[in-house]
Amino acid sequence: MSTQAFSPVAPDRFPASELAEAVASCARCGFCKVACPTFPFGGGFETFSPRAKVYFLKDYFEGRDVLTPEWVDRLYRCTTCERCQAVCQTAIPLVPLWEAVRADVVARGLGPMPAHKKLRALAEAHGNPYGEPADKQSQWLLPEHKPVEAADILVFGGCTASYRMPSMLQTGVTILTRLAIPYAYAGGLENCCASPLLRTGQLDVAGELIGRNLDLFARTGARTIVTPCGGCSKTLKHDYPQWARKLGKPFDVTVRHFSEVYADLLRQGRIRPSVPVEATVTFHDPCHVGRSQGLFDEPREILAAIPGVKLVEMPRCRESSRCCGAGGGVKANYPEMAAAIAKDRLEEAVATGADTLVTMCPFCQGSFSQAIKETDASIGLCGLEELLLASLPEAR
Amino acid sequence: MTYQEEFAQRFGEAVSFDPQILRSYDHDLGEMPRPLLAMIRHRPDVVVVARSAGDTADALRLAGKHGLPVTPRAQASSGYGGAIPCRGGLVLDLCNCNRVLSVDAANATVDVEPGVVWEDLSRALAPHGLGNRVCPTSAPSSTVGGWFAMGGVGIGSLRYGTIRDNVLEIDVAGLDGAVRTFRGEAMEPYSQTCGSLGVVTRLRLACRKAETLLPLAARMPDAPAAVRFLELLEAWPDVYSASLQSAGYCAMRAAAEGHAPALASGFLVSFATTAKETATAEATRLAALCGGALLDDAVAEAEWNGRYYPMRIRKVGPSALVGEYLVPMQGFPAAHAALTAALKRDALGVEAFGVRGGGLAVLVYILDDARALLYPLRMAKAMLPMRLAARFGGRPYATGMWFSALAGEVFGPDKLALVRRLKAQLDARGLLNPGKLSGPGLPLAPFVSLSRCILAGTACLGPLAALLPSKPRRTS
Repeated sequence: MSTQAFSPVAPDRFPASELAEAVASCARCGFCKVACPTFPFGGGFETFSPRAKVYFLKDYFEGRDVLTPEWVDRLYRCTTCERCQAVCQTAIPLVPLWEAVRADVVARGLGPMPAHKKLRALAEAHGNPYGEPADKQSQWLLPEHKPVEAADILVFGGCTASYRMPSMLQTGVTILTRLAIPYAYAGGLENCCASPLLRTGQLDVAGELIGRNLDLFARTGARTIVTPCGGCSKTLKHDYPQWARKLGKPFDVTVRHFSEVYADLLRQGRIRPSVPVEATVTFHDPCHVGRSQGLFDEPREILAAIPGVKLVEMPRCRESSRCCGAGGGVKANYPEMAAAIAKDRLEEAVATGADTLVTMCPFCQGSFSQAIKETDASIGLCGLEELLLASLPEAR
Repeated sequence: MTYQEEFAQRFGEAVSFDPQILRSYDHDLGEMPRPLLAMIRHRPDVVVVARSAGDTADALRLAGKHGLPVTPRAQASSGYGGAIPCRGGLVLDLCNCNRVLSVDAANATVDVEPGVVWEDLSRALAPHGLGNRVCPTSAPSSTVGGWFAMGGVGIGSLRYGTIRDNVLEIDVAGLDGAVRTFRGEAMEPYSQTCGSLGVVTRLRLACRKAETLLPLAARMPDAPAAVRFLELLEAWPDVYSASLQSAGYCAMRAAAEGHAPALASGFLVSFATTAKETATAEATRLAALCGGALLDDAVAEAEWNGRYYPMRIRKVGPSALVGEYLVPMQGFPAAHAALTAALKRDALGVEAFGVRGGGLAVLVYILDDARALLYPLRMAKAMLPMRLAARFGGRPYATGMWFSALAGEVFGPDKLALVRRLKAQLDARGLLNPGKLSGPGLPLAPFVSLSRCILAGTACLGPLAALLPSKPRRTS
């Protein structure tokens, strides 16, 4: 199951009775425990497994247990990668459950974790969790990029791509530019999509940011929002419609991850990769693009279309893909655990013998970039669009 | 030095006395009534996460030195209570003893630590051209050591028998901290006894040559036809695994998964053969001989792909009463008819795996809600399938803690006598997983076995429970 069916942290989406019913159906089979990327970092104790968390929550909902600081900490040790709910025998919407409980934790003043409070303070003050000034938001734009005032397509850069890992965003916009596809860009006016705040249960400030973005989208008149970020695209697709209803604001747009746009352009014959890119690559499915949005075929279709590229899959790919460790506020508050998870995944990539690890989310790119640096791994790293762009003939 | 100090010194961060952590180790997959759990000390006093045979041996040695009961535990993915303490003490978490030690491709064997997960083992064997001979339906989480300790049959058992039949050699750690190797008949007492004689630290398994499998499924009009078909499948050397599902079970699955049931009446037989060109034609011929017919490929694939997800039905429960028994194939139709008559107010789901030698391991599901007031009473229904099957040659599937009083029927008298003799020799103080061979005693009458009380209580309450239908609370 993906969160497509159960939009996460939708306000009022999960009343207590529904949560209680969901945890009551847990079969305690432990499939989630084996699949969870953070469980091994709890010393191997069962208590850190999703199964044990559900067991605790069952008692908690029934008033037989209390939320201690230790339990709050355990509940935040989750990247929201959705692997647990993908393997769940009884299809419990586990990630929405974790997120709803985190929101409850925050509402009771027991959370979030210290680093998440900093994200909140920065987002409140600057509109982005990095605390960067708005005028730096469009620093990635290249001279040849020509955003227009109003267009059907609005490029939503997202904070991580705009301020930290701009290559995917930059390349994606270069491809649009090269194809003369008009796009608008509201650089400097974008607010954080609110994903880090939603995932960590900080709904009040999330609602404010979402409200500002909804107003911005309405002003541009765009019909399609395109973003290179897994977190942004998941949030815009699954959370925004419900928040728009709650806030009473319009949100009549289609949200697309850049990979969907490339796949469409390929299918329409509007891009024809013809320049060989000699590379043996392995592809990492970002959790919030793959499991959350079901975009498994699109990146592979794009890779298959690039002459010279040979794809070698990791044993755990597509729905079974392992997490990079960055999501759910884990990288902010548990950086060592996040780094270790990224290194584990990097090892899988290196073991394929590929010379390049390809992904399509700036969070994953950031995690692997750090892991490669720290381990001196002999593998390159690039975004899907960078390979695609390299295979496109130069415009005449 | 106290045991706490000594364990802390030896195991450092791999030991915990934290009540919140201990609480995660006081239950398994079963949903037992709280008053029943209150009769035993099901919460451990200490947990050790073992990461090697050395850790296991040291933990046992320290437990022996301090007189601490030891409950070995892997994923606790059965509901028999075999991994639940009954006298507190130490829980030895073996999930991190999970290395595949060596693969002998030429002889098709593999050596593993006990905490290796079946599905992980399958992935590790694939590059060597090998596969698991047998595995449980809980293969994505359950462990090799856990299944051996409980004893079990499942996927692949039609061709290869029980887990015990496919283990060639084991290492076992005892309370003296020594690790001993056993082969052949000498291994027998360590299977099905939940670590009551020692903790397995290594297993050598026989593997099968990996072959591409073709999933197939057939519709059979009734139980005798389904059994006849299973017998024909067992006689067909290309068939690797086969199971049957009642129409009731198909309906539960369909409700949980949100699609139309694969069949409305009779039985579905799901099986996998080596992918030969003639397989479908032969399967069609055999199905017709039994008055049935092959179902389309999509159904067959869905059944095979869903083989690890039998508990998905809980989505419409949200709980399920589960009865389990082993029966000769020929006895199944009568046992099933008797059960259907006894529980006519309930919707039953039946799933059964063929076992080499003409056997069936049968699971009976009745959807229920463990939060309901009458659930503890209705639980007595879970014992009915086993009791009724006994009239037709059936016997209990396993013992664990709750059914330890049935050890004689599960093990047979000779094995039980041998196990008891070894228990007296190896563990006179009863520290190794106590309560799993003869049942824990009642709190105020320790000479009375809780397991016997459960058996007697459910026997008395069974007829009454049968009058109380377990209705699913919701549908999907």
